[in-house]
Amino acid sequence: MSVTVRIPRVLSQAVTTGLRHEAEGETLGAVLESLFSQEPGLENHLLDEDGRIRPHVLIFVDAARADLDTPVAPASEIQVLQAVSGG
Amino acid sequence: MMRILVGTEKGAFLLTESGSDWQVDGPMFPGWKVTAFGQTTGGAIVAATGSNWFGVGVHHSENLLEWKPSDSPPAWPEGSDRKMEQIWTFHNQGDRLLAGVAQAGLFSSDDSGMTWDPVTSLNEHRTRDQWSPGAGGLCAHRILSGNGSMWLGISAVGVFRSDDDGVTWVPKNDGIPSVDTAEGGQRPEVGYCVHGLAHDPVEPNHMWRQDHQGVFRSTDGGDNWERIEDGLPAGFGFVMWRHPATGRLLTVPLESSDNRVPVDGKLSAFASDDDGASWRVAGSGWSPAPQFTGVLRRAFDGDDNGGFCFGTSGGKLWLTRDLGDTWQELSPSFPRIAAVSIVA
Repeated sequence: MSVTVRIPRVLSQAVTTGLRHEAEGETLGAVLESLFSQEPGLENHLLDEDGRIRPHVLIFVDAARADLDTPVAPASEIQVLQAVSGG
Repeated sequence: MMRILVGTEKGAFLLTESGSDWQVDGPMFPGWKVTAFGQTTGGAIVAATGSNWFGVGVHHSENLLEWKPSDSPPAWPEGSDRKMEQIWTFHNQGDRLLAGVAQAGLFSSDDSGMTWDPVTSLNEHRTRDQWSPGAGGLCAHRILSGNGSMWLGISAVGVFRSDDDGVTWVPKNDGIPSVDTAEGGQRPEVGYCVHGLAHDPVEPNHMWRQDHQGVFRSTDGGDNWERIEDGLPAGFGFVMWRHPATGRLLTVPLESSDNRVPVDGKLSAFASDDDGASWRVAGSGWSPAPQFTGVLRRAFDGDDNGGFCFGTSGGKLWLTRDLGDTWQELSPSFPRIAAVSIVA
């Protein structure tokens, strides 16, 4: 089951093949694992040392805020948002 | 042709001398803090990036314009209560690349910075539970090595020395006032806020230290420190650099911990040609206009040829090519400067 993952431009320094990726998985956590296997440089920037989504990183599945357990449907679109906290 | 890498609050820039002016390339890593530069044994340049939201990164370049990210930058082990806040410094030691980080720790790479392992002997030091941060955080920001010894400066903890290739580390701060102990009180083993550290590569036990509490030197590898501030307008600051061949020392004094700008706005480096026994304003070329700005602890670099450059928290660069006899303020302006590296 393939879904689309879009990442923000600020993370372009951590990827090798662009800002839009196709990944596999039935939960957001599984999709991210699939994404990290393609772009290992992203993992450290999206997840903290304990494997949780970093506190100021927001990830949406089909326009709804998601956590790692959120189910992902076929053809879902996943959007990693540019952090909006801070000055 | 001189080239200068500048790490700022908003990306990195490469300055390349072009006639009487400078070509500016960048920003590289737009939107990211660029906090440290280093060099691998193979000659590649490494840069550290950081973000308040996305963690830290390590990047490699052969040409200073195209960068390849490490897939596995320094990270605390899963379950650790420490956060990887910033990479403060790199140090090339033989085939190893070392990184000093905040929250304070030392990491080592055997593959030119692509993967990193924690140096447990330092990171889990028996005094760890007594370590406290300074205003810049709890950061390991300066690494030196020579004649079989290594030194690591941590704020606000102090200088540690290892004489067995990093197997054991001993605090070396005798003679330095503690940041949190009243005069006459019992001296703690740690709690000393080193800001800058330099040594003689030929006699590495001869060391100079810009500390939160003043300027000091040691002739025994840090076993004992003595104050050396004759001629300085203030003891506070972050810069300490020694030219390898001539021994000339350069520092940039700031008024105090409470007011981290030059005294009366008179920004200038100070030089010593007698191992720090006396200091004087370094050369000429300084701005007659007030310069109420600071210089951060990794925002300077020098080379063997008499080149020395420092960047300010106001985003300007000051350069000398003759070991501090004449200075010029470079025309480009940048965001707050955190790191400077003169590259061959």
